[in-house]
Parts: sequence; C-alpha cells; structure tokens
Amino acid sequence: MAARTQAHHSTAYRLRRLRGSVIFWGVLGLYILFAAFPVYWMFITTFKQVNDLYNLQNNPLVFHLAPTLDQVRYLFERTNFVTWVENTAEVGLAVVVITVLVCVPAAYVLARTRFPGGGTLGIGIFLTYLVPPTLLFLPLSQLVVGLGLVNNKWSLAVVYPTFTIPFCTWLLMGFFKNVPREITEAARVDGCSRLGAMFRIVLPVSVPGIMTIVIFAFTLAMQEYVYALTFVSSSDQKMITLGVVTDLIRGDVFFWGSLMAGALIVSIPVAIVYNMFMDSFVRGITGGALK
Amino acid sequence: MAEIARRRQLGLNAMGGRIGHVLDTEWVFGYVLVAPAIVYILLLVAYPFAVALWFTVSNATVAQPIAEFTGLTNLMGVLNDDIFRRALLNTVIFTISSQVLQMFFGTFLAFLLLRRFKGRPFVRALIMLPFTIPIAIGAMAWTWMLNPTYSVINWVGVHSGFFGIFGLTEGPNWLGEEIPAMISIILVNVWRNLPFTAIVLTAGISAVPQEIIEAANLDGANWWVRWNKIMVPIVAPILYIALLFSLVFTSTDMTVVWLMTRGNPVESTHVIASYAFQTGVIAGSLGRGATMSLFLFPVTLVAAFLFLRNIRSRSMD
Repeated sequence: MAARTQAHHSTAYRLRRLRGSVIFWGVLGLYILFAAFPVYWMFITTFKQVNDLYNLQNNPLVFHLAPTLDQVRYLFERTNFVTWVENTAEVGLAVVVITVLVCVPAAYVLARTRFPGGGTLGIGIFLTYLVPPTLLFLPLSQLVVGLGLVNNKWSLAVVYPTFTIPFCTWLLMGFFKNVPREITEAARVDGCSRLGAMFRIVLPVSVPGIMTIVIFAFTLAMQEYVYALTFVSSSDQKMITLGVVTDLIRGDVFFWGSLMAGALIVSIPVAIVYNMFMDSFVRGITGGALK
Repeated sequence: MAEIARRRQLGLNAMGGRIGHVLDTEWVFGYVLVAPAIVYILLLVAYPFAVALWFTVSNATVAQPIAEFTGLTNLMGVLNDDIFRRALLNTVIFTISSQVLQMFFGTFLAFLLLRRFKGRPFVRALIMLPFTIPIAIGAMAWTWMLNPTYSVINWVGVHSGFFGIFGLTEGPNWLGEEIPAMISIILVNVWRNLPFTAIVLTAGISAVPQEIIEAANLDGANWWVRWNKIMVPIVAPILYIALLFSLVFTSTDMTVVWLMTRGNPVESTHVIASYAFQTGVIAGSLGRGATMSLFLFPVTLVAAFLFLRNIRSRSMD
C-alpha cells in the first residue's frame, strides 16, 4: 500500500501539487494581508514611540525605537477613556436587560405557538432590522428632547433596542424552534400552564441561546456610532467607540498612537466574541432565508 | 395523575388560576408575550418613521420643531441642491461598485475557505477581522493608513517601486483629492463587507449536498452547469438575504464617509446619509434632512420586496 502510494507520487505529480499549493497560499495570503493589515497597523501605531511614529526617514512597518506603553498610558490617564468604558458597561447592560425582557417572550411565541397574524408579525420584526439609523436619527433626536435625555448616555439605552430587539428576536426564534415540541406537550398534559412550560421546560435548555443574544445585544450597542454621534456630545457621556474616534482629535491634531490604542482595545474583545459566535451571527441575519 | 396536578394548581390559587386560564388560551398567550416587542417597535421605529414622513413635508427645524405644512418645498429644494445631487450619485456609485467587487472577490474567497488546509480556523479569523471590528474603528484605521503625510500605503507604494510604474514619485493625497477619496471609500466598504459575503457563501455552499455535486460530475456536467444549475439555486436564498442586507446598509451608511472625508474635498464625496446628517443634525434643518434620508427609501422598499418575493418563490419549489 505504502509502496503504491509512493510510486503514485511521481516527481511531476508532486511538482504540480506544490505549484497548486503555492498559488493557493499566495492568493490566500493577499486576502489575509488586505483583511488584517489595518489591525497590524493599529498594533504598530499603538506601541511606537512618538519620535519613531512621526519620523518619515524610518521604515514605518517595523519598530526603530523600543516599543512603549506611553500612548496607552495617555489614553487611560489623560482622556476620559475609563469613563467611556464605564458608560459602555452601564448602557450596554441596560440594553441587554431590555432586549432580553422583550425578546425572550416574543421569540418564544413566534417560534412555538400559533396565533392569527403571528407569521406576519415575525416577518415585520425582521424587516424592522432593515430600517437603518440614518432614516430615524432626526425624529428620534426630537423624541430624545421630549424625554429630557439630550446629551445623555441613557438616551442610547432607549434607542439601541430598536435594532437589538429585531436581531435578537430573530436569532432566538431559531433556538426555540429547535427545542422538541414533545417535551412541552408532555408538560402540558401533566397540567403545566403555557407560561410554566416556557419557564420550567424551554428556557432552562435555551440558556446558550439567551447567552448568545446577551452577547450580541451588548456588542451591537458597544460598537454603534451614528446614534451615539447624534445624541451625545459631552465627553463624559460618550460610549467607548464614539469616545475613541472623536475625543483623540483636538482641532486638527490627531493623537494617532492613543487613538489606535483605543481602537485596539475596543476591537479585540469584539473580534474574539464575533469569531466565536460567527455562525450564530450569520444565522441571525440570514435566518429568514433558511427557515 | 395529570388531573390531580391540574386540580391542585387550580385549588391553590383560584384567582391566579382564572388569569392563568385566560393566558393559557393559545392566541391570548401569543399576543400577550409578543406585545412588548410590538409596542417597542411601534413607539420607537414606526412612530418616529411617521414623524420623519411629516418632516419631509414641513419646515421643521431644531429650533422650531412644531412646523407648518409646506408641501413639496423640501423635495424641490433637495432636488435643486447640487451637493445633494452629487451625494445621490455617490451613493449609487459606492453601493453598486462595492456590491460588485465584494460579490466577485467574495465568491473567490469562499471557495478558497472551503478547502481543507492547516490552520483554517486561524486564517478564517484573520479574514473575518474587518467584519468583526466596529466599522467606526476600521474607518479610523484606514484614515490613518491614508494620512496625507504618514500614509503607510504610500510609503510601500513608493519604496516597492509600484508607484514608479505609473510615473509617480509620491503617492496620492488619498482623502484630499476627489477621485482618490472616492476610491478610498469604495475600498473601505469592500474591505468591510467582503468577509461577510464570503462567510455567507461558504455557509450556503457547504449546505449543498455532496452527492448532488458528485452525481453532476458523473453526468459530465461542466463547472458552469454545476454552478448555475446546482449551486446557485441552493445558495441563492441565503445569498439574496446577504445581498439585501449589505445593499441596505451600504447605501444608508454614513460612518465611513463621515469619519474619512466628512464629504470633502469641497463636498464632493458626500453620500446621502452623511449630507442628511450635516443638514439635519448639524445645521438643524429637520425638514430638509429628513427629505434626504428618506429619499432612497422607496427604492430600498421595492428592492427589499423583490428580494424577499424571489426568496419565497424559490423556497416554495
């Protein structure tokens, strides 16, 4: 067997394979370079000394002076970065709570019960996700005025569920559909109410699904830019993404090192989470086509 | 046994039992539980949308939100605005070119990612980076990479001799000149959306049963037939949804333009969304701004309708 394989792998065959694999990795390498270079560039910029970063004589791709944490320190000590992190945590948590309280029951009945208009409502909620922020920011800004939340981070906690609810409801419906009908039917026969069946039977086995929407609601809120830019202008009310991309520019001066440090700190956790949940994320968006 | 349990439940709490009984009716249960989501969406999406519609036919401003009906004045004003017309053109150019490029390169990338090779999860994570990091952050990273003085892209272009081929001794001022700025914006849109297109295609293609492809191979079907008659019908629904999303979100996005050029040089790179933001939020002209942001809505609506109908008719087969 081994000998036969050996004979089969003639030199010409091996060369052909080698050529194929060189082309494959070459092309894939270009894609990787295109996709990942900006992140490498954030990384380099974050840890370079200012004298190195702004020296046009140097090859910008590598370190010429020892890496430094000065830019990261500047971000933490001389900007409101820590406040932005706190704001993000508070508003993000509020968005998560609202989203879960609204989505779990809605997704449950849309996925598991039959009532007139249920299917239409489900599609209606899905289509709401297609309403972009730039369509609603003007009327919503008046609503924010009416609520007395002008230039207040809590305005975002009110507005963000407009996109987390449709997305998370749709995602969660997929999870609930996968819980076998028989087990709730059995519980119903045993005298369990519909509500009881939901709380005691289906929700406990759907914890992974609920965790997924918790994470998505939080990260979607964390990275939002348009509403944040529209409703919040004081530095101490900003969330992390808006703070990083607006507050490190003073007049015409960009603090690129610290800006990229902030960018890196925002990107890494979001990137890791989205990679872990990529399939769910794609399902959340495309679910309508598959079910 | 079931009867005893039921009686015990009713007996324990007669009042709660009655409410519980009503709630136990399937349609009541359905409506009650879906109600919070519907109410939230009515209050914060449908109602604001109606207000936006009202803005388009009124002279509302931030200073004077209670406005008078002014008919088509806003629409006429917007249509006669040269910057808006340019923004409309740009929106179409950016959206279509990004879609075409990301479809072309995304399909190619999807097939690369479908192969089994060492380190595939890691490669996939790297390729996914643009999609997984916040768009505002990505746009800032590109703004820095395209900086007029410190552009790393220009440095590489000059030092590798690549720009020399075109007779350039230094790189373009990417975000400071009209055409390079437009190229940059398209580039960042493609950078952002390419991974999503590829991953959706990968998911769609993996869903094609291997036996069908093998059967087609045995029948001597060439790659075009395989692609057109087998892949496309199976992949189409998921691909259409992905297309619909990236179409809607690219054509209405203002983040990339706002962060990279703010519509400059001389307001030549605005898209509708960024110009609507400038008019409605910064200048405070709600009527004008809303007219701009809603301008493409009818087109989007028709597109969404056609896409969804196509998907539905395909899944009926």
